[in-house]
Amino acid sequence: MTAPALPAGVRPVVVASPATGARGAIRQVLGRPDGLIGFLILVVFTALAIAPDLLVGPLQTAITGSGPRLGPPSAAFPFGTDELGRSILNLLVHATRISMVIGFLATIVTVVIGAVLGIVSGYVGGRFDALTMRIADFFLVIPTFVLAIILTAIIRDVLGTGSREVFGIRLSLLTIVVVIGITSWSSTARIIRSQTLSLKERAFVDRARVVGASSGHIMRRHILPNVMNLIVANAVLTFAGAILTETTLSFVGLGDPFQPSWGQLLDAARSVGAPGLGAWWYFVPAGTCIVLVVFAFTLLGSALDAVLNPKLRSRR
Amino acid sequence: MNGRYVVRKIGQAILTIFAIVLLNFLLFRMMPGSPERVLLRNPFLTQEKIAQVRKEWGLDKPLIPDQLVGYVKATAVGDLGYSLKFRGQSVVDVVASRFWPTVILIGLAEIIAIAVGLSAGAYAGWRRGSTGDRVASGTSLILYSMPYFVIGMPLIVIFAATLGWFPTSGMLTPGANSGSFVGQLGDFARHLVLPLTTVSLGLIGGYSIIMRSSIIETRSEDYITTARAKGLRDDRILRRHAFPNAMLPMVTIIAINLGYVVAGAITVEVVFNWPGLGTLTVDALSSRDYPVLQGVFLLLSVAVVFANLVADLIYGVLDPRVRT
Repeated sequence: MTAPALPAGVRPVVVASPATGARGAIRQVLGRPDGLIGFLILVVFTALAIAPDLLVGPLQTAITGSGPRLGPPSAAFPFGTDELGRSILNLLVHATRISMVIGFLATIVTVVIGAVLGIVSGYVGGRFDALTMRIADFFLVIPTFVLAIILTAIIRDVLGTGSREVFGIRLSLLTIVVVIGITSWSSTARIIRSQTLSLKERAFVDRARVVGASSGHIMRRHILPNVMNLIVANAVLTFAGAILTETTLSFVGLGDPFQPSWGQLLDAARSVGAPGLGAWWYFVPAGTCIVLVVFAFTLLGSALDAVLNPKLRSRR
Repeated sequence: MNGRYVVRKIGQAILTIFAIVLLNFLLFRMMPGSPERVLLRNPFLTQEKIAQVRKEWGLDKPLIPDQLVGYVKATAVGDLGYSLKFRGQSVVDVVASRFWPTVILIGLAEIIAIAVGLSAGAYAGWRRGSTGDRVASGTSLILYSMPYFVIGMPLIVIFAATLGWFPTSGMLTPGANSGSFVGQLGDFARHLVLPLTTVSLGLIGGYSIIMRSSIIETRSEDYITTARAKGLRDDRILRRHAFPNAMLPMVTIIAINLGYVVAGAITVEVVFNWPGLGTLTVDALSSRDYPVLQGVFLLLSVAVVFANLVADLIYGVLDPRVRT
């Protein structure tokens, strides 16, 4: 697809961001208390995720764990220890990295699938659109979590779980990334599609078509920039959902003990019976982290929504 | 209600269920325990024997349409194959024995959460910006951010391990079934309290948030202004005019949400060792009992699709605008 040379004045028009632009939107979001709090919480967790080794040393194993078994918080082990004598703090910080990275990758996969299908089916229309939206509706209705469990198990059994790593993440965990992408793209696709439908009818798209721009060019240069705001706002909420799904999948036993995530820690806590033994320190830290991160994404998402939505409304 | 609307909705539901069966069929072919793979792994089998077994099981026929038709037929008459873990038991029997505990848990939790969540959301939305709204919305947002099992584990520590008010796990005290029916019911209820509280709390957050925004949207409608102009009392406007109209979108949302509730309930059952479909799913997962996993998936999917159909039909009755 060769993009035709655009005559002067037929530059791609970005309608979604007015004079303020993306920088203005960010300033507006951070100017709201919910946006700011959400942002700050995420900054802290990102810092933890970037360099866990520097903060708490390498991930402790059954051999390097030196504390008492299921010891309550003490001066040496501020968050207590697990059943192997490992420091919960050490596990927690390393789990932060795993959970955040999986959440991030899963969000990218989900949003890319959703945005591409949404833009193409909205722009192209016809049978492709009808089929894609049918499939999207199907995924919106069925209990995708049970499907995710089955898919993860099957993919792992077929591929085998070696110790291969990609991006420093074990293959077994990348399965979860792919499965989250497959099962949760549909709401993104629906939102992007409806926005594409309304953009398609606008004058600047007509103009581009008249000058001879190809469909691919129009979708990339005219539609995509205009749905970018929506994609970002949606990605924030998708991130929260991805963290929750990863946590839940790990909790039902699909995590990787060699690369524990928050969900994997909670699964370990449950399987040694920590709640019944009153060993609250085993699961409260990981649980708190999950709630804080999801809460932060929800706050940030609603702030973004409030900043971007008035514009969406006025355009209707 | 318009007949065409009903027929269309039922048609869509049937199509969705067919798609689920098709997906289940494809998953069966993908999964590692499929008959061919198991056969090929055994080194002592001769080629003739393999061919004979394949013929017996119909595996020599083309995947589509022959095998698919056979699969659809078997599924239609309720033959979902046999469990790998519980040897000799059919998938239907295994799943059926775990059905009621889950239905009771989710059903009661939905009732509690709808009652509490909708009232809290309606109150918060009606008194938008008040202290009550801030507290209710903040609590809802935090509850909404919590996976169900994160709510459940502290409850065990506080109310079971420390205070000892309720048992930590299970549905009935083992070996204590000598008592009367009433005694057994009491035992069951004591076991039910914590898991039920957990699922309800998990649901309340979401329902309250959505109900709040629904009420806020309703507040600016003309009929509310009219009601105010008539001089009706504030709480009467909320109860008789705003609430019923704000309920409309909730019908659909509650049905759609059921798919997520199922996921949450699975984890809660695991936390409390509640012998329902959730613990069955996790047990089947850890022993890679694919036939049971797919049976659970089929049952839950059909249940959710059915709930959505019912919601659509109710919506059609409640809101005359959609009867087209």
